[in-house]
Amino acid sequence: MIEHYLSLSVLLFCLGVLGVISRRNVFVVFMSIELMLNAANLGFVAVARLHQSMDGHVLALMVMAVAAAEAALALAVVILLHKHKGNLDTNIFSLLKG
Amino acid sequence: MLDNLLSLMIFLPIVLGAGILLLPVGREAARALGLAASVLVVLFGLKIFLTFNGSSGLEFVERSPLIESLGISYHLGVDGISLLVLMAAALLFPMVYLLFRTREKGYYGNLLIVQGAMIGAVCAADLVLFYMFWEVMLLPVFFMIGLYGGPNRLKATVKITIYTIAGSLLMLAAIIYLGMAHHQATGQWSFAMDALSGLSLAGPAATLAFVGFMVAFAIKIPLFPFHTWLPDAYTEAPTATTFVLSAIMAKIGVYGVIRFVVPVFDESFARYALILACSGVVGMMYCGIAALVQKDFKRMLAFSSASHMGIIALGIFCMNVQALTGTLYQIVAHATSTGVIFLLLGLIEERSATRTIDDFGGLASRAPILAVFFAVAMLASVGLPGTSGFIGEFLIILGAIKFNAVIGILAATTLVIGVCYMLWLFQRVFFEKPAEKTATFHDLTAIEVLTILPVIVLIIVMGIYPQPFLDKINPAADRQIAALAQVVAVADSGDGAELNNQGKN
Amino acid sequence: MEGNLSSLGFIPLLPLAGALVLGLMHLATCRGRLISERIYALVGCIGPILSFLLAVNVFFALQALPAQSRFLSHQAFTWFSVGELTISMGFLADPLSVLMLLFVTLVGSLIHVYSIGYMAGDPAFGKFFSYLNLFLGSMLILVLGDGPLVMFVGWEGVGLCSYLLISYYSEDRGNVVAGNKAFIVNRIGDFGFVLGMSFLFWGIGAEGFDYLSLKANAHLLAPTLGITVCLLLFVGATGKSAQIPLYVWLPDAMAGPTPVSALIHAATMVTAGVYMVARFSFLYAQVEVAGLVVAWIGIMTALLGAIFGMFQNDIKKILAYSTVSQLGYMFAGVGVAAYSAGIFHVFTHAFFKALLFLGAGSVILALHHRQDIWQMGGLKNKLPITYWTMLIGALALAGCPPFSGFFSKDEILYSALAGGHTGIWAIGVLVAGMTAYYTFRLIFVVFHGQPRDREVYDHAHESPKVMTLPLIVLAVGALFAGFLNLPAIFGGHQQVSHWLAPSLTEVHPHGSMATEVLAIGGSVLAFVVGISIAYRRFAGGAEQPVFTGFRKFAYHKFYVDELYDTVLVRPYRFVGQAVQRVIEPYVTDGPVRAAAWLYRMAGLAFKVIQVGYVRVYAIYMVIGLSVMSLVLSQSLNF
Repeated sequence: MIEHYLSLSVLLFCLGVLGVISRRNVFVVFMSIELMLNAANLGFVAVARLHQSMDGHVLALMVMAVAAAEAALALAVVILLHKHKGNLDTNIFSLLKG
Repeated sequence: MLDNLLSLMIFLPIVLGAGILLLPVGREAARALGLAASVLVVLFGLKIFLTFNGSSGLEFVERSPLIESLGISYHLGVDGISLLVLMAAALLFPMVYLLFRTREKGYYGNLLIVQGAMIGAVCAADLVLFYMFWEVMLLPVFFMIGLYGGPNRLKATVKITIYTIAGSLLMLAAIIYLGMAHHQATGQWSFAMDALSGLSLAGPAATLAFVGFMVAFAIKIPLFPFHTWLPDAYTEAPTATTFVLSAIMAKIGVYGVIRFVVPVFDESFARYALILACSGVVGMMYCGIAALVQKDFKRMLAFSSASHMGIIALGIFCMNVQALTGTLYQIVAHATSTGVIFLLLGLIEERSATRTIDDFGGLASRAPILAVFFAVAMLASVGLPGTSGFIGEFLIILGAIKFNAVIGILAATTLVIGVCYMLWLFQRVFFEKPAEKTATFHDLTAIEVLTILPVIVLIIVMGIYPQPFLDKINPAADRQIAALAQVVAVADSGDGAELNNQGKN
Repeated sequence: MEGNLSSLGFIPLLPLAGALVLGLMHLATCRGRLISERIYALVGCIGPILSFLLAVNVFFALQALPAQSRFLSHQAFTWFSVGELTISMGFLADPLSVLMLLFVTLVGSLIHVYSIGYMAGDPAFGKFFSYLNLFLGSMLILVLGDGPLVMFVGWEGVGLCSYLLISYYSEDRGNVVAGNKAFIVNRIGDFGFVLGMSFLFWGIGAEGFDYLSLKANAHLLAPTLGITVCLLLFVGATGKSAQIPLYVWLPDAMAGPTPVSALIHAATMVTAGVYMVARFSFLYAQVEVAGLVVAWIGIMTALLGAIFGMFQNDIKKILAYSTVSQLGYMFAGVGVAAYSAGIFHVFTHAFFKALLFLGAGSVILALHHRQDIWQMGGLKNKLPITYWTMLIGALALAGCPPFSGFFSKDEILYSALAGGHTGIWAIGVLVAGMTAYYTFRLIFVVFHGQPRDREVYDHAHESPKVMTLPLIVLAVGALFAGFLNLPAIFGGHQQVSHWLAPSLTEVHPHGSMATEVLAIGGSVLAFVVGISIAYRRFAGGAEQPVFTGFRKFAYHKFYVDELYDTVLVRPYRFVGQAVQRVIEPYVTDGPVRAAAWLYRMAGLAFKVIQVGYVRVYAIYMVIGLSVMSLVLSQSLNF
């Protein structure tokens, strides 16, 4: 049973990674990151159930709280980015180019 | 409160300096605070000098554990070896605050921190503690050159910082090795000097650790061929920083060799002394020759300073009491003479806004007092008898001849090399026809005269009546040489004995 | 055996204190002239004169003692003491140092007085006297020091004053260059001196590094070390006393004011080398080879100086080369172990050479700072006192009996001959003839014949009393000083030699009567020949000759200065430039730059993968994580 949950978790995580890598819109990248977080959460909860332990649940709650905080911050950053360049294509933010 | 005199001398400037940097303090207030702190440090320093008796080992000891499990302790003390270096670090600073007014407050803050750190490095009797102060010493220099230096300051800053840190990291590795060696030998961790000097180290690891220490100190001194950061750093640094670097910080490198390398690595030291001595002599000649052709006043003095450091370092490597005492004496003598020269250079620079030697001329007629002060300091730096420079230089040459006749003869060329560039400089700056750029040059003001005069007097007093100073350092030098002599007697040292045998035949 | 005499310390201290006071007065008032020359002159002269009186006092104190225990000393304080080296700031009055002391303070005082007139109106009058006092103080330390190291204090001190006074008119670049040359050449000598002292110390100095202890232990010195020490010390002497190869600074030193040339570069400082060799007579007597080197270098210098002196046109340059030449005689004397003869020549030379220089100064001042002898002529009527005193000086220098120079020079030549050094004697006689020639060439051209420049002649006037008085005193000295050491053949007792005997390690050669007559005859003959050639050529009023061939070569001093410039100075600077331009950036700083370059190159390489797109960094991260997980899973054996 646990394999199914974990497989779904991995699948979701890989989708998130693919999204981060392939999409150029900052919003979509952000959503992909959220997807990865939720994939992780799913994994936590599933394993917690397996071990009959509360640790995983606590961590999942923790991740959700952090994700919420992060969302607030990240959205603010996104708005600022948009104000700055008028566009949300990640390719135009390449100040770190060597 | 006076029980913790050394701590006070270290942390009063550091805390005050940090305060100045962090708090909104005005520039003039910062200067006044700095002056007050440095004057207090001078008073403490004088108290230490006068109450120091010198017959036993460390005095004014403070010791409390810092990290007990690793045997690291807050251990301070002064002995004959550190006394004069401590005096140089303690006594010369008020001049900077008195003479230079146009600096920003951060400059004064950094100056205070560097003074505290230098005093700490000189007093530390625990290697880890020493290392901490040693590194703290570099930080303010980084900022002082990087923020307030000349046009090419960035390159100079990067060079001195990376160079010095590279050396320091080697030393850190060596220090850790020493701690481990102590742990292996006794089952206890310790980084205290008295414990480490009892170790008998052998094998390639010990040699590597010796090299680590030597490179760190050689860079700081600087010893040929590790001197290449020096001309840039000295030239680009604000003159007061150059003063700190050349008058005091370079001496702490020399001090480090005497204090840490010689007692701990006595065997390796004796084995490589000849090579190191060669490096000192070659550096003296090399930098002295390079000084001759410099066009920039300050760069020339930078090379001159490096040249003198070569001869000062040579005194350590000769492994006899005359040379070692000469080095310890010369540390102060050179600090005062070169210090005055750099300070006067700073004043000249402020007045004429140029440093190109050819722009000057005839300053002696425009500013006779400045010329006299410069001349006295210059004569001390070329080692004229009757000034402080002679005693140390003569002792070093005398000791060098005992150590190795060829080294001694080469060392004595400093008598000629020094006057060549110095007199030529003096001619072009102070003599000849007054130049246009110096037309509005005015002599030293009363405050400037009163600030520099004590050091000028000290230069002459130390030349005419050096014995009170020597009495303080002699016992420590004797002890160190006696300890070293035992090792040398075991090791093969045909060079040193050569001349003695010749005399006896 | 030794008495203590605390007044010894005051002898150098008085002029030094004077120098300090004068220097402070000058510095305090150099902006506006608030202090009159009279006060400066008073303060300036009081120290030397008091020192002279003290010196006379010391002389009598010493004379009261029996001959073999004529040592008075004063240990002021321990100068420095490290390990087996203990140096006290001690002063020693023995016959040798007292003789030097007497004439140094006497001539020094006279020249101080003379300078009041010569330097009148100089804007830095106080500075001049300060330097002069400082010089005298240093010279007295040199003379009185009880060991080589204390002597070295004075030795370097007089060198410094020489430098300061040569470049006294510092606005003129040439003067400063001459000063630098003097200091640097002297430093080359001092290099030898310091090494000599150091080797001597490690040889026999541990028991005490003063003359008396060294003398007592001299026999312990290994012969090779002895030669090394003697030769190294002599290097110091060649620097200070202008001998081959380091004589080149002395003629240039004439750039200083004339009283300085008289005091420092003729009478006192330049003889310090001779004094030093005599001081170490206990060493030189031990190693004959070193003495021979000294003697031959001395006599060759005498020859060279005389050759150059014959073809100079500047009145001071003639005298300068004459000084070089006479110093050569002195070294020939001390070299053949006739120390008392050498010192006696130092003594008489101080009088007549100071006299000649001061006379020359009087002429120069009368002619408003003209120094070319071919602009002078017929001045004997205009400057009678100067003429007569200078004539006495010239006769003494040329070695005319019974003037002082004759006796002292003859003593040296006789010692050389009696000691079997016939070559040295022959050259010495030749040089004596040349000396007579160039001295009277000067006298005849300057004072006799017709004025060559009528306008200059008309404006010439005798110098004030303050200047002529010292001339007269010195002339008396030049005339009679020789009688102090009258040899037995003239019915004398050689008082000076006997007086000096306790200080020197000397064996008097016992030559036959014939040798003595030969020596005297040679000297007199040389004098007569020299002066008659000079008379025939110049007494009638010759015109300035054009030098060709060898004479031109000699006029340009054999191009030695140019040679040194090419062989030493330029290569030295070239090395400096090479260090600055090539070695420093590419060799010593090379590894550092190479390391920096490597970092830079590595950065450039890694730069390629820094594309700046977030997505790409994410890929790197994924790849990295994947690899890490793979490795982890492998190693943990999942």
